[in-house]
Amino acid sequence: MAKQFPVVVDNLAFRYRDREDLAIREISFNANSGELLLIAGASGCGKTTLIRAINGLVPRSYKGDLTGQILLFGEDTRDWKLSRISQNVATVLQDPERQILGTKVINEVAFGLENFGLPREEILERGDWALEQLNIYHLRDRETFNLSGGEKQKIALAGVLALNPSILLLDEPLASLDPASAQETLHAVRGLVDQGMTVLMVEHRVEDVLAINPNRILFMQEGEIRYLGSPEGLIEVVDYHEVKLPAEMVISRAAADPPPQPLQVLPGAATSSTEDHDPLVSFEDVRFGYDKDTEVLHGINLQIHRGDVIAVLGPNGAGKTTFVKHAIGLLKPKDGHVFVNGLSTHKATVAQIATTLGYVFQSPSHMLFAPTVYEELAFGPKNLNHPPDQIKKEVHEALDIVNLSDMEDDPPLALSFGQQKRVSIAAILAMRSRILVMDEPNAGQDYENYMNFMDSILQMPGFEAIIFVTHDVDLALIYANRIILVADGVIRADGPPQEILADFELITSCRLVPTSLLEANIARKSKLTSFLRAEALAHV
Amino acid sequence: MLVSWRFKERKSLIQWFDPRAWLIFYGCFLMTTLFFWDVRFLIPLMAIALLVLLTSGVSWMEIRRVFLFIIGFVVFFAVLTFLTGRGGMEVYDQEHLIRRLAAQFTILGWRPTLSITVERVFFALSQFVRVFSIAVMTILIPYSLNPAYYGVTFRGLGLPDKFAYAMDLTMRFIPTFGRDFQLTMDAQRARGYELDKLKGGLIQQVRKLGPIIVPVTIHAIISSEDIIDAMDLRAFGIGPRTWLEELHYQKKDHILIGLGIAMLVAAVVVLFIGLGQFWVPSSLLEKFPSL
Repeated sequence: MAKQFPVVVDNLAFRYRDREDLAIREISFNANSGELLLIAGASGCGKTTLIRAINGLVPRSYKGDLTGQILLFGEDTRDWKLSRISQNVATVLQDPERQILGTKVINEVAFGLENFGLPREEILERGDWALEQLNIYHLRDRETFNLSGGEKQKIALAGVLALNPSILLLDEPLASLDPASAQETLHAVRGLVDQGMTVLMVEHRVEDVLAINPNRILFMQEGEIRYLGSPEGLIEVVDYHEVKLPAEMVISRAAADPPPQPLQVLPGAATSSTEDHDPLVSFEDVRFGYDKDTEVLHGINLQIHRGDVIAVLGPNGAGKTTFVKHAIGLLKPKDGHVFVNGLSTHKATVAQIATTLGYVFQSPSHMLFAPTVYEELAFGPKNLNHPPDQIKKEVHEALDIVNLSDMEDDPPLALSFGQQKRVSIAAILAMRSRILVMDEPNAGQDYENYMNFMDSILQMPGFEAIIFVTHDVDLALIYANRIILVADGVIRADGPPQEILADFELITSCRLVPTSLLEANIARKSKLTSFLRAEALAHV
Repeated sequence: MLVSWRFKERKSLIQWFDPRAWLIFYGCFLMTTLFFWDVRFLIPLMAIALLVLLTSGVSWMEIRRVFLFIIGFVVFFAVLTFLTGRGGMEVYDQEHLIRRLAAQFTILGWRPTLSITVERVFFALSQFVRVFSIAVMTILIPYSLNPAYYGVTFRGLGLPDKFAYAMDLTMRFIPTFGRDFQLTMDAQRARGYELDKLKGGLIQQVRKLGPIIVPVTIHAIISSEDIIDAMDLRAFGIGPRTWLEELHYQKKDHILIGLGIAMLVAAVVVLFIGLGQFWVPSSLLEKFPSL
């Protein structure tokens, strides 16, 4: 008898109901016990659909036509109920927000075990074990909705680990984690694989996953398998623009290509004729707490000047989002002042501030409402009373920057998450504010897409300053000319990237991890005036 | 994801009891209050509600907004029925006039007139006391019931697993909806949208609410689908489930349930012998002429 693989996918194809094109086609592979299979590919290439087909949500919850076969330990799952599949296959979804059900951490971790009707003592034992595996036992009795994004992701993982599944599916488990949490999660996953679990991990952050030695990589493109094999082989077939590869590897390959065009960062700030040196935004001893007892920000002082491109970095739950929400007056300081363009946010409405400061929210789903992408983008400029001709121009330019020009008439609510995120960025770009604030602009985006739109946004003529919150050290290193490290509600460091990011002791204390690109830059420090992307380093 | 009400461990009368016992008592209280229109019976019930409120450990700051909203609502409707004289028609058929106030002007030949009658005064009073007592008892529940116990509480009250969990989710849906509403409001305000600038007719105004209503609705639908998927992916409903949290009745809980049921039975008996209906002091009826 042939050896039974935990997962066999045979000639799988799926078309979502109401869609014309197949989401995935001709997918065949198998995965072994103790194997970590990394599934990579651009946004919308069918990775998530494949995961859903294996865990049974496709076609049971997401309807459509499924052809081909999926075998779990040799048995065809076609006629299985979802609950039967879930006894073998555990899934951690992309967004932990969408997965957590329990009010307290221990309830969440116990949820699956409760459903299997296990005795209470065993549930507690296995729940505690799962929490210990991920080093989060200290969160056991906390309320889930008060946790940070990264903590939530680990709780969701603990919730499925407790079930002790033989197959684990992870859909972008690193998306909302700070670098140190991401590293810890990856090591925990490696440990499970080494104990014999089969793990299929969808992840954009290929470089990070390479650090835990995936056995094989499945690279998808437009719904098909473009590559399946060893990590070394992938590096041969993909372009370094498509997938983020280790920096030294990119440097050695990019040497043969012409050097990238240097960016004209914030041309609007340079050519601005006004000669005032007043700060655009200033924080004066800002203190804030969501309720009386707990303070989240403990006295923030800083000024944002014309020409600043600021990356705000820091651990999950450090207060980064709370901090930037003060800049547009969505949150008002309990103590101290925030001035935007000389106007106190205590006195101005958010809509008034929005004329100078554009704010891109973390989650696109809270703002999309219009029947077409065009109308969605025109909403902001209309509120600001821009003339119709100008709005048209603003919308088209914004769509161009985020690479969605061909989707002007599509309903934004029907787009993929990555596309929605880009619509939400374009909606703010179209407003032509002078200052742009983005909260995790590259979350859920593939490498090529976000590098392209970041390049374009930085070169837009209108902006005088840009601030972005991110967990991506490389994004900060490439684009920012000023780094602000926020930890525990205070500014731990504020200065140029060459100074802040080179201090490994400082950044690791803020749960950042030095990347291969950072190390490559530091190795060439004597030859550089500022940090560069890998392609540019190749020509230094 | 679902968020919870602002529950805190407090030293309070409600939290001293098992949540199941409290809900049973609450149910009895609710029905008893609804049986009566007689202020003499309603006042003691309001006293119970006030006692529970004062021993709830919920601070005025926490409850201020919702409390003022509900008081405003109750007073508004009591005054409205008083002014119009409608609503009480089912419980009394004769009115005794205290005073008739007529306006000095007419609108298109109609002179606004307010007849203050004994019945209307007492009806407004009874209505206020009834609704106020129920409202106070109800708004305290989310502040006092531990969200981690929602499911097991309803299970313990005899609902099957699936319904008990559904009740758990429903209880948490309301504050979640509030949170999503706030997030959407914030996102749209950041795009220059101002709710107070609504102009035009009703239909136009509703259209202008689209940027809020559409994302909030879509979000609610998508989240409920997500919740179903998340439950299915972890084998919800494959058989009888274990509830991690355990609840144990103690003597005091049995006493509370006993009191609740006794109150309800007493109310039924009182009703049966014809008491507890709408009441006005007979001395007042003699004093004022009937209409």
